[in-house]
Amino acid sequence: MNRPAASPERFRHLRASLRLWGETLRALARSPGAVAGGVLFALIIGTSICFQIFYTKDPLAQDLLARLTPPFWQEGGSLAYPLGTDNLGRDVLVRILYGSRVSLMVGFASVLVACGAGIALGLISGYYGGRTDSVIMRVADVFMAYPFMLLTISIIAVLGNSIFNLILVLGLSDWVTYARTIRGSVLSIKEKEFVLAARSVGTRNRVILLRHVFPNVLSPILVLGTVRVANIIIWESGLSFLGMGVPPPMPTWGRMLAEGRVYITDAWWLVTLPGLAIMLTILSINLLGDGLRDALDPRLRNIPG
Amino acid sequence: MKKKTASTILGIMLALVLAVGPALAKDKNTLVVVQEAEPVGLDIMQSSIQTTMSVGYNIHDTILKPQEDATVKPGMVEKWEKVDDLTWKFTLVKGATFHNGEPINAAAVKFSFDRLMSDALKSPHKGKLTSFKGVEVLDDRTFKMSTSQPYAPGLYMLAQYLFVVPPEYVKKVGDAEYNLNPVGSGPYKLDKWVKGQEILLTAYDKYYGPKPAYHKLVFKGVPEEASRIASLMTGEADVISGVPVQQRQKIVDSGKAYLTDQMGSMNYLGLNTYEKPFSDVKVRQAVNYAVNRPLINKALFKDKAILCTGPISPRTFGADPGLKPYAYDPVKAKLLLAEAGYPNGFETRLAFGTYMPQVQEQAEAIAADLAKVGIKVKLEPYERAVMWDKYKNKLHQMYIYFWDDAPEPDRYVYSLFHSKSRDYYYKNEQVDALLDKGRSTMDPAARAKVYNEIDRILYQDAPWIYLYVIPEVYGVANAVDYKGLRDGYLIMNTAKPKK
Amino acid sequence: MGRYLLKRLWHTVYVVVGISIISFFFIHLSGDPVMLMLPGDASMAEVETLRQQLGFNDPLYVQYWHFASRAVTGDLGVSLYHRVPAIRLIMERLPASLELAGAAMLIALVVAIPLGVISAVKRGSLWDMSSMLGALFGLSMPHFWLGIMLILLFSVTLGWLPTSGRGTLAQLVMPSLALGLSLMAMFARLTRSVMLEVLSLDYVRTARAKGLREKIVIGKHALRNALIPLVTVAGMQFGFLIGGTVIIETVFAWPGVGRLVVQAIFSRDYPLVQATVLVLAVIFVVVNLLVDLIYLYLDPQISYLEQK
Repeated sequence: MNRPAASPERFRHLRASLRLWGETLRALARSPGAVAGGVLFALIIGTSICFQIFYTKDPLAQDLLARLTPPFWQEGGSLAYPLGTDNLGRDVLVRILYGSRVSLMVGFASVLVACGAGIALGLISGYYGGRTDSVIMRVADVFMAYPFMLLTISIIAVLGNSIFNLILVLGLSDWVTYARTIRGSVLSIKEKEFVLAARSVGTRNRVILLRHVFPNVLSPILVLGTVRVANIIIWESGLSFLGMGVPPPMPTWGRMLAEGRVYITDAWWLVTLPGLAIMLTILSINLLGDGLRDALDPRLRNIPG
Repeated sequence: MKKKTASTILGIMLALVLAVGPALAKDKNTLVVVQEAEPVGLDIMQSSIQTTMSVGYNIHDTILKPQEDATVKPGMVEKWEKVDDLTWKFTLVKGATFHNGEPINAAAVKFSFDRLMSDALKSPHKGKLTSFKGVEVLDDRTFKMSTSQPYAPGLYMLAQYLFVVPPEYVKKVGDAEYNLNPVGSGPYKLDKWVKGQEILLTAYDKYYGPKPAYHKLVFKGVPEEASRIASLMTGEADVISGVPVQQRQKIVDSGKAYLTDQMGSMNYLGLNTYEKPFSDVKVRQAVNYAVNRPLINKALFKDKAILCTGPISPRTFGADPGLKPYAYDPVKAKLLLAEAGYPNGFETRLAFGTYMPQVQEQAEAIAADLAKVGIKVKLEPYERAVMWDKYKNKLHQMYIYFWDDAPEPDRYVYSLFHSKSRDYYYKNEQVDALLDKGRSTMDPAARAKVYNEIDRILYQDAPWIYLYVIPEVYGVANAVDYKGLRDGYLIMNTAKPKK
Repeated sequence: MGRYLLKRLWHTVYVVVGISIISFFFIHLSGDPVMLMLPGDASMAEVETLRQQLGFNDPLYVQYWHFASRAVTGDLGVSLYHRVPAIRLIMERLPASLELAGAAMLIALVVAIPLGVISAVKRGSLWDMSSMLGALFGLSMPHFWLGIMLILLFSVTLGWLPTSGRGTLAQLVMPSLALGLSLMAMFARLTRSVMLEVLSLDYVRTARAKGLREKIVIGKHALRNALIPLVTVAGMQFGFLIGGTVIIETVFAWPGVGRLVVQAIFSRDYPLVQATVLVLAVIFVVVNLLVDLIYLYLDPQISYLEQK
């Protein structure tokens, strides 16, 4: 038992935050938009994970002679390829399904990377202040002014394109917003009683940061993270579209769009369906994010959207 | 005060929006050509990029007119004679001038040759003319050019690459400015270049040759395939380049335009024969048997591609007519792989440049075929710079590149296979010797035999997976009569209104 | 005010220098363009000579120093690929970028502000819900996909608009719409939420209580305050738009700066990449400075000396 006993102050605080989360969830459940978004998103995630049980096709299997088969409801289409085939006769449905994994994985993993970097730097910057703060914030300014697309493209030009690099690049290019938000929150929390109390009893800085400050800045990060997942998924598809994303043959929505663009006049489904998939995913996340923000209101009114 | 500011801001924004020039009014004396991209410069000596060359060839004339069968016809040079195996003597037409009025004379030819060969210009065409020692001016209209060794493709190379530029003007403005504002000797002169929009050329009224049928020639760059085709369909464009296979039938069916398929692009899949596993000829033959080219041709190119037998395109002088393309035979491929010690195949990498048209689907189709005989292929799409860099540093295992389906075999077989040229992935002394012989054999029939042999040897030795010549199609509006050229340069003085 | 400007100037300088350093090192780390500049049959010796000539064998910090000392005098170097001064290429493309960004911004603001205001005033109404749902859809569409869909509809199917290029007003419609829609969605949402906030503030309530006409309350008191965050966001977005529209420029063959710089990255055209990134950074910082000044004008109470 060499852990110091938790102070009653902290317990009180913990209870308060638990209660807040409970309220948040209830508020979420009352918002039709958030419920719709949540259900849609759960469906997308569920499908993305489990679809292989029901739909076992190989996303790479080519049938060159059946290329550009339209979706089943169109003349010339068949249920063998419910959403038609692409330029190499691969099943579009299964490729969209596999594509969802790439998009979601890159989206969430990049946000985690960005969150990690942003939270760490934001906490440090806000809590320690002084020169550390100003250096970190200056660097943040520079990143802010750097055109995002150009930054990611030039880093990928150095690293080469793989899924891992993509996550790293998107994540590391996007830490600024988190760092700034966290820093703002930290600045306002820093002077609160319970932090001052912890400091006065000689608790180490790192402990204060992790145990007292961090839990209290989590909710803005949650809202922000949700919004950013959506943005990152769009950026990933944009990079894939430019040929800078995950390399072939692994299907991604952005690359499917890019490949389909050549066939725009005679295979509308190739440019339409992956885009629809992106839109539905983003829509569900945005609905959820809006709901979250409203639920956590009024504390979070100034989160950039 | 506030209102004023607001309305000023609005005004500026509106002005921005409206500050767009009106579309160029099109008349029947104007020919609009839409290419895949806008040229980066217009000095044809400084670039080997297709879009630049196509505009450049309309502005710049070479001394002779290259023909589709690798022979030449008179142009700026009205007659020539062979002095001996090493020397030609040329006579220029009388009274020809550059677009700025400077006379086209032997001194200008010499200046142009020297400029092309100079280190300062870093011309990509320099390598094509290194066999020539220089230009010897005899008098105002005549000059001699000689080579150190007999050089069979000489006249054709001069016809392709010895562009003639006005010495006074070039000296006055310098290379960088010349690249933006060239003054040439060709049928069209540069009128104005609106960057990012269009290049406007007008016929040069004192051109020494026949006048082009169209007085004005407009080049535009539109990267989107769909957009180029739409512009042809709406009549915005008269000629468009880069029509993808799947759109071709649509153009024909529209009844508004037709296709020229003179130009071909010979795609090939190079193998790194310096390293395992492709150092073994059996493996190289095996992969040639493993790729189902007839199916790829049918599915991706609507059976319009020409399957290649060996390194010399079937349409080109010197191709051995006795050869048959490698058949699709996965069983034989597996057998050969087993003999080479790879009964279960192996893993390898296939690089391709993302800038090549339709290349990714070819790469994916080929990879799928190779997977069927146990060869696992990792695809490596690279941008142009990386692709080229890795190519030259011998870092590829398999790579897809292409060469234009040119009429003169020496031009690319020498470049690609002679160990004095590119020694990146393959070396064969016997081929080296034959290539040298092909270069110096002046009699066409004897020369054809040499290239036949090269074709056979390389067919057997298979340093490439021989793929196909894909027709590079141009769409041409029905009102225009234009055939197109094998190397694809859009030399538009041959176009005329259709009756 | 003077001290504030001085601070902003310092901000400008370090941001621009920071950006030039980052872009310099990334582009140089990604391999050099020498191979690409020479013909296929050039020998390795030729490659090495050219590399030496261009100074690519020097240590990076030496190369950066050369670049920076020339850049300070306004010399941004000559494009390796185009073989003309980089600044000239940028200036040729900049009007196109400004035009597209301006048009997109105009479309977005003109639609979004009334939409957002009405939604806020009629909170909870059918109008509010449908326009906010619409905005959410707008936010959820990748703009390049929207661009493709527009082409599919207006060019391929209906044949009303040219698919790409720049020169006529018709050619501006689709790219600016594709780019403007998500901005529009963003601004509409922002306007609405800021308006809601402002409308609940005391002085607005007071104004209402005093019996002022609703239009005046909204127009004069509420909207003016709501404009402040809108101007900030719009300014920042405008800065991004100038260089960040690569994909839309690609889809519509729009001759803007974005495509220029991406092609320059692909061909490792160091001077051009450096010059473009620098110019874009300056534009970004200047636009933000302007935004701050507008800010100051809209809300003179904000004290800059304390804020920063």
